[in-house]
Amino acid sequence: MLILNKVNMKELEKTRRISIAAVLFILVIIIALLSYKRPKHVYALNTQHTLEKITTDNYFVTLDEIQNPNYVLIDIRDQFDYEKGHLEGAVNIYTPELLSEINSDVLNELKENNKTIVLYGNNPTEANSPFLLLYQLGYTNIKILLINSIYSQNKLITKNTTIEKSVADINAFIKESKKNASKSLKPKQEVKKPLKKITPIKKKKKMPVEGGC
Amino acid sequence: MINRNLAKVLSYRYMILAFIFILLAGGLVLLPKYEIHEGISPNSLLSNMISQERYINTDELAHKIISQDPSFILIDIRDEKSFNNYSLPYAINIPLEKLFDEESLAYLDQNQFDVVFFSNDNFFADQAWLLCNRLDMNNQRVLKGGINSWFNTIINPNKPTENMPASAFELFAFRKSASMFFGVGYPEDLQTNQPKKNLGTKKVITVKKKKKMPAEGGC
Repeated sequence: MLILNKVNMKELEKTRRISIAAVLFILVIIIALLSYKRPKHVYALNTQHTLEKITTDNYFVTLDEIQNPNYVLIDIRDQFDYEKGHLEGAVNIYTPELLSEINSDVLNELKENNKTIVLYGNNPTEANSPFLLLYQLGYTNIKILLINSIYSQNKLITKNTTIEKSVADINAFIKESKKNASKSLKPKQEVKKPLKKITPIKKKKKMPVEGGC
Repeated sequence: MINRNLAKVLSYRYMILAFIFILLAGGLVLLPKYEIHEGISPNSLLSNMISQERYINTDELAHKIISQDPSFILIDIRDEKSFNNYSLPYAINIPLEKLFDEESLAYLDQNQFDVVFFSNDNFFADQAWLLCNRLDMNNQRVLKGGINSWFNTIINPNKPTENMPASAFELFAFRKSASMFFGVGYPEDLQTNQPKKNLGTKKVITVKKKKKMPAEGGC
């Protein structure tokens, strides 16, 4: 009986330790779950996928197409510029405030209603990074308006533009300039001779001054 | 009998329990990685992209190239055809579509060099920068205005008009000599060389001043 009792005691001790460990373990898990907050903004696309999309899809809109009732214009300039003048029906969401609560609500609503978001700023480049950010966050219903907008004479003047258009053929320009440089080498030397003739005339002028003394 | 068998099995129960936990822990490793969430948080990406710090202007870049600064690599993200026609000296061609190819990542994902992206304007270069920035590559810059701005400022600089400040003339002088460095020929160079010889004839005039000195003394 005594031996049995001893074994039992050992057993009891063991189970008590294990139950304490189990309770602690479960507590830790519960605390971890409670403290975990789901981040508000989560990427919906990875970079590889985004890259594929932006190099193949057409995400540009021109000024003539914005009459489409499915398009919702979003002005990404600051409130000051927006209030001076903006396109008709545009909503103002300033770039640094893209991820704020109110603005995400607006964007989510547009997404749910299957509207297409059309971003514009002073130029397409300005709308570029907001576009890419929102695109990666899963707003794939988004486009960029290809305009330059300038504020002048109390009006916002918008013009269609293109992006990444090469201004000049630099290679051809350099070749041309080299040609011109070698052509114009000789005739210019002749021009300089008369300049030298002018200086002797100055000498004569100074001579009479000495005479006056 | 049953009791005894059960007791035998139960004597291993802690071993069995531990084994189950180890198995479960091993299972965590096998869980799929959430690649969608790769990179820095959207909020920090937003604050990075608002900052203008990523831009380098053409003058700075020209100065770096001329002084053979070894700390950066130039990456041309236009297509191969435009790259072959003209590109900046020592540039490497990585078309935007191939940005995340393995070969390209060898250039991008390193800590040794700064990376300067450029395209015709800075539109596509910005896109490349933003995607790389999300993947937490911090040493990347964008050439402001791209090749077009390079042409307008360095290759074919505008001559300042006379009412402009002296700094504009200094800048023009720098840009002009830079453009010569990058292969542009100037017909006026030879012109400007010869007037320097004319300056030499002016020295003769100063000699004449000496002649006046004794004349005054005579008076």
